[in-house]
Amino acid sequence: MNGWLLAAAVVLTGGLGAALWGVATGPLRRRAVAQNLATVLAGSGLLLLAQGYDRPSYLDLALVLALLGPVGTLVFARLLADDLAADPPRARAATWATVGVAAATVAAVCAATGPGRAMGKLLVTGALLIGGNLIASRALSGGFGGVRGG
Amino acid sequence: MIAVALLLVAASATAAVATRDPARQALVLSVLGVVLAVLFTTLQAPDVGLSQLAVGAALTPLLLLLTVRKVRRRPRREEDPR
Repeated sequence: MNGWLLAAAVVLTGGLGAALWGVATGPLRRRAVAQNLATVLAGSGLLLLAQGYDRPSYLDLALVLALLGPVGTLVFARLLADDLAADPPRARAATWATVGVAAATVAAVCAATGPGRAMGKLLVTGALLIGGNLIASRALSGGFGGVRGG
Repeated sequence: MIAVALLLVAASATAAVATRDPARQALVLSVLGVVLAVLFTTLQAPDVGLSQLAVGAALTPLLLLLTVRKVRRRPRREEDPR
């Protein structure tokens, strides 16, 4: 068990555990936000796991999650729009804290990888993870008025 | 590492079973899918994890929510909720 795996364990237990608590209890808006943040935290955990096991091909998992996580959240934002519009979620602090964790993870793994193609892939994954999360949380809080209804 | 992932899977699966409202259950199920993908990664099976991500994170909640929507709309149209 090296330091990367330890960091992955900390991110997964602390972050995903908290997200799980958020998604299992409380009002619908908190559940939706927690589901969104869970994908980002799991993505960071997968990045750390790939580095910990020293298998760069495991990065594909984080890349796919970075692509599909926001899609899943947008599905919820679209189909639960009526419930969420009555009680829009606001979780700016939690969102930015999670984005901070993801950015720190990407930076650390980048520093360990060194320049090259692998680092480019890492940066793309991190950008997708963070950008997708920000777009999804904005959609959840009703930032895109035009896509509502129907 | 495997123990951590197993614990998370057990916790999220229990939460999914304990949730009654289908829409909220879909949210928990989506998290469960992601956690299962993490478990498969720790078990050195990233290919299984990939398909689990695709199915668990996006497809299952989509199907569930579409079904819930259809079922909820029907009584309103017939104006005869049984």
